[in-house]
Amino acid sequence: MPELNVINLSKTYTNGRKTHQVLDDINFAVNHGEFLSIVGPSGCGKTTLLNIIAGFIPTSSGQVIAGDKPVNGPGPDRAFVFQNYALFPWMTVKDNILYPMKMQKVDIQIRETRLNELLTMAHLGGKETLYPHHLSGGMKQRVAVIRALACHPRLLLMDEPLGAVDTQMRHKLQLELEAIFRKDSATVIMVTHDIDEAVFLSDRVIVLSGRGKIAADVPVSLTRPRDRKNTEYIRIVNNLNDILDDIPQPQESELNAE
Amino acid sequence: MDKPQRPLYSAEVTREKLINDVRKDMSGKKNRFPQLYWIITLALLIGIWQLAAVHIHFALLMPSPWSTFKALLQSVADPKILIALLITLKRVGIGFAVACLIGISLGYLMGYSKTILRFLDPLTNSVRLIPIMAWVPLTIVWFGLGDGPTIFLIAFAGLFSIMLSTISGVHDISADYYNAARSMGAGRLSIFTHVVIPGSLPSVLTGMRIGLGGGWMSVICAEFIATSSGFGHEMVYAETMLETNKLIALMILSGLVGFTIDRGMLLLSRKVIKWKNS
Repeated sequence: MPELNVINLSKTYTNGRKTHQVLDDINFAVNHGEFLSIVGPSGCGKTTLLNIIAGFIPTSSGQVIAGDKPVNGPGPDRAFVFQNYALFPWMTVKDNILYPMKMQKVDIQIRETRLNELLTMAHLGGKETLYPHHLSGGMKQRVAVIRALACHPRLLLMDEPLGAVDTQMRHKLQLELEAIFRKDSATVIMVTHDIDEAVFLSDRVIVLSGRGKIAADVPVSLTRPRDRKNTEYIRIVNNLNDILDDIPQPQESELNAE
Repeated sequence: MDKPQRPLYSAEVTREKLINDVRKDMSGKKNRFPQLYWIITLALLIGIWQLAAVHIHFALLMPSPWSTFKALLQSVADPKILIALLITLKRVGIGFAVACLIGISLGYLMGYSKTILRFLDPLTNSVRLIPIMAWVPLTIVWFGLGDGPTIFLIAFAGLFSIMLSTISGVHDISADYYNAARSMGAGRLSIFTHVVIPGSLPSVLTGMRIGLGGGWMSVICAEFIATSSGFGHEMVYAETMLETNKLIALMILSGLVGFTIDRGMLLLSRKVIKWKNS
């Protein structure tokens, strides 16, 4: 059984008398342990799709089924990594990571073990008493990821988790992310605008067209960690770029939808 | 996705920025020698004062800085003045506690519920525009002379700034924090105690600081009229005894006490919100 099923999902926004279709009859499933990336031009509704899966916004029609339950609100089975990390600035690194475990009533001894395990995994040992304010962008990003993973969620949803860092740092963090996911065997859906990042991390890449439909669903079955100079890697990246180039740019007015 | 709602009282935020950082002055630039400017300005002021005192040569109108300074030293050592100050501070304490209690709870209710905000907003926005001193005669009718009017006025002076800062503090919390908490399994109660309260705390404390300052200012004034004890009453007494130097000394003392209260609140805020300081 797939971890997530998206069935006939549509989303329209109404602004006065104008309606704007952001997502149009989307169907896909995500299997256990799979890393799926969603790419597409800005305004294609990829972030909206992720927010609907998270339960932050309702669907207009169709449904999302996580495990065997239909989604109708946020829940701890679908952890979310925000673009701006959304670490609680008033909690230390340690308290941020412990928060989901406290909320989900994890046993105190298990909490501590898991905390240390996560900190080691993300190379954050010794930083647990710092406030997010004191952390670099890369460290915040890692805290956000391990906070989301703390309770072994069914699904990890990430909205452009590396959007705010430069290319060099990005490559380093991508390697670290991959290592974390391999150790913790998570099922991940990531939204990104970076084709290279999607191919580097994913088992599968879905391309959304400007009209909110799935334009392509491309498997990536290269061995990990991936080699950016590998010819098959380059071929997949080029292929995805071609698909994206063929998508007509959405109108200016539609850009506001995302 | 849903945009976080626009804070209704965002002017408070800029005010917070202005007063929260004492190392920066009003020009917004870092002032590396604040003490130097203080000394020069104070010396100039005292110099002009001295010249004026010599020129007017009439201690009832313009006592010299030196005699005022002596009166200040005497006042600080005078048990009568100190007891009056304690009475006033007690009133400030009670009034401020009432202001916090009502202001913070109303602020959270109005920040949390749009409906309550819409009902109470016209009320607060009309009542708070009545000058605080305009309440004095009515409070005397209600409570009689004594503690009642003064405590009421302090509470009233602080109430609105505390309430408005609490509302803006709640509104300024990013929608991402609510979503993050909910997707980690938090319920309504935990969102309130772990997101809303800590997230709004800096703004609430700023409102408390402004409210306490306003309370201190209005209490002295209320004591001129509505009571026969307290620091304000001592000032009126000095006036009727024609001790102008003592009167000015008490004015300076009230400024010093106000300054101490304000710095105390600032230090307290810094202690409570460790996570905001570098």
